[in-house]
Amino acid sequence: MSNVEIGLMAFPILLAIIFMRAPIGLAMLLVGVAGMWIITGSPNIIMSKFKSEVFSTFASHSLSIVPIFLLMGHLAGLGGMSQALFKAAEAWLGHRKGGTAMAAVGACAGFGSICGSSVATAATMAQVALPELRRAGYSGGLSTATLAAGGTLGILIPPSVVLVIYATLTETNIAKLFLAALVPGIMAAIGYMLVIALYVRIHPESAGSLPRLPYRERFRALGNVWPVALIFLSVVGGIYTGVFNPTEGASVGALGTGLVAWASGGLDWPRLKSALIATASGTAMIFLIVLGAGYFNAFLALTQMPQIVSQWIVAQGFGPWFVLACILLIYLVLGCIMDSLSMILLTIPIFFPVMLALDFGMSAEHMAIWFGILVLIVVEVGMITPPVGMNLFVINAIDRTTPIRETYYSVMYFVSTDLARVVLLTVFPAITLFLIP
Amino acid sequence: MKKLSYALANVSAMIGGLTLLAIILMTVASVIGRALVPLGFGPVPGDYEITEMAIAFVIFCFLPLCQLVAGHATVDVFTSGMGQRTNLILLGIWEVALTATMIFVAWRLSHGFMDKLENKEISMLLAIPAWWGYFAALFPASVGVIVGVWSAYDRVITAVSGKVTRTIEGANH
Repeated sequence: MSNVEIGLMAFPILLAIIFMRAPIGLAMLLVGVAGMWIITGSPNIIMSKFKSEVFSTFASHSLSIVPIFLLMGHLAGLGGMSQALFKAAEAWLGHRKGGTAMAAVGACAGFGSICGSSVATAATMAQVALPELRRAGYSGGLSTATLAAGGTLGILIPPSVVLVIYATLTETNIAKLFLAALVPGIMAAIGYMLVIALYVRIHPESAGSLPRLPYRERFRALGNVWPVALIFLSVVGGIYTGVFNPTEGASVGALGTGLVAWASGGLDWPRLKSALIATASGTAMIFLIVLGAGYFNAFLALTQMPQIVSQWIVAQGFGPWFVLACILLIYLVLGCIMDSLSMILLTIPIFFPVMLALDFGMSAEHMAIWFGILVLIVVEVGMITPPVGMNLFVINAIDRTTPIRETYYSVMYFVSTDLARVVLLTVFPAITLFLIP
Repeated sequence: MKKLSYALANVSAMIGGLTLLAIILMTVASVIGRALVPLGFGPVPGDYEITEMAIAFVIFCFLPLCQLVAGHATVDVFTSGMGQRTNLILLGIWEVALTATMIFVAWRLSHGFMDKLENKEISMLLAIPAWWGYFAALFPASVGVIVGVWSAYDRVITAVSGKVTRTIEGANH
């Protein structure tokens, strides 16, 4: 068997192990190690790699952003910022038909601008918005689906942990990726609001509405979210203008978020402790996957399978748009069962060389940024697609009164706007790229 | 053993968390120092290499707890219909594999530590010996081995007896 064949065989084996419920990072690590052993014919390379590579994988300055952003997201839930965001959005949108649900989406977007994780956004905003939605007479299905979909804004709107990983894998500028994610992220929020407007017209029984507020009160409510705006502008603005490197930006954001939480009385020792513990578990999960993917990809590189596959695809003369459509489709299917980071770490080393070899009529850097945003969106769709959408489970665990089948039904409306957005951004790369010099 | 494992994993995660806070504070101090250069301040020297060394320690500190609370990402859509007994057996198998990996990682790390001790590698700016980072990481790596061995033992017992005593669902992530 040739090395390339071994590389190709590794995928079904890896997927089989993952589907047998092995931790994904562990599965990648084991298959990678076994593959390297088979190809080099001895365990020596593995023995020497493990001496320093585990440490050096963890000792990564660019990945140090990941735990810091996770901590920032956990602290952001403590300072009453989520409450202030929801009240502000409700003041502006609450009187519309479906307004409270739209306000929940708006608040998720605001929270997403200081939180890089979609599960944390969904969970935090659900605590605030779910009771309000139910009190305002919204159906369980619409309420839970709104928050599950709104949660994905946590990662679509920068900062975003998934983009950090994509940036390190493809050596793309993280600041430019964050900036490029902004307009598609806002489009997502608007798309979700439109879906709600449509949904409450199809199912008028599922929503209530609130009295219209005078503008004075609206602006006062908006004024209460200044810490969020300040933190977002200093983190993303600071990273983009080069005042900070990304780790510095994340640190400033995390400290600022912590201080706001502390000043509002939301941060005491037990809460800090549980924020740190939650950060610990989330970080370890991500880094086991990063570690496993490192070995799996080192093994694939030994087989030369990625280059040969990309050469083969180019040699077939498939159109670049056809290949891109296939890749995005693979993500959508995989996303129904797998988490976003694992998917990206597993597939980008194969798909990215393919994308680089195809001509989309733009520079390599622009292609990398545009492709990154498209991948970000399609893997995030996976967070809300049944049967395995992490956000759906998180919301379902918080709202035990709504059967998950109702959430599944309502969330499909949101998924349809996600798909429409992916098509739009694929056909018009300029929407993503016009801010990027 | 259960109590000890949980205590070790929690303490390890807290030490990691506090180290992470320290990194954040140092980084912010560095940013402020750089902004105040005209006043005679400056960035923290070597902040980049301190961060790298410390963050590796932090990650090692975080790993034991994640294993204990079944926090690692898995795909369970294909196994959820297989009945609890099958799931417990699979869980036991993977927990043993994960622990074996953690033992292997800790063992190789100790050899990496001795390598760095011998070759006297130092960091660029502050001339910090590379073995410091490896040495520090050996402690949480050993915690990982202890916690992992208990957790694997416990999962195997659970698979054999069929009596579930702690969470098998992954934590939310």
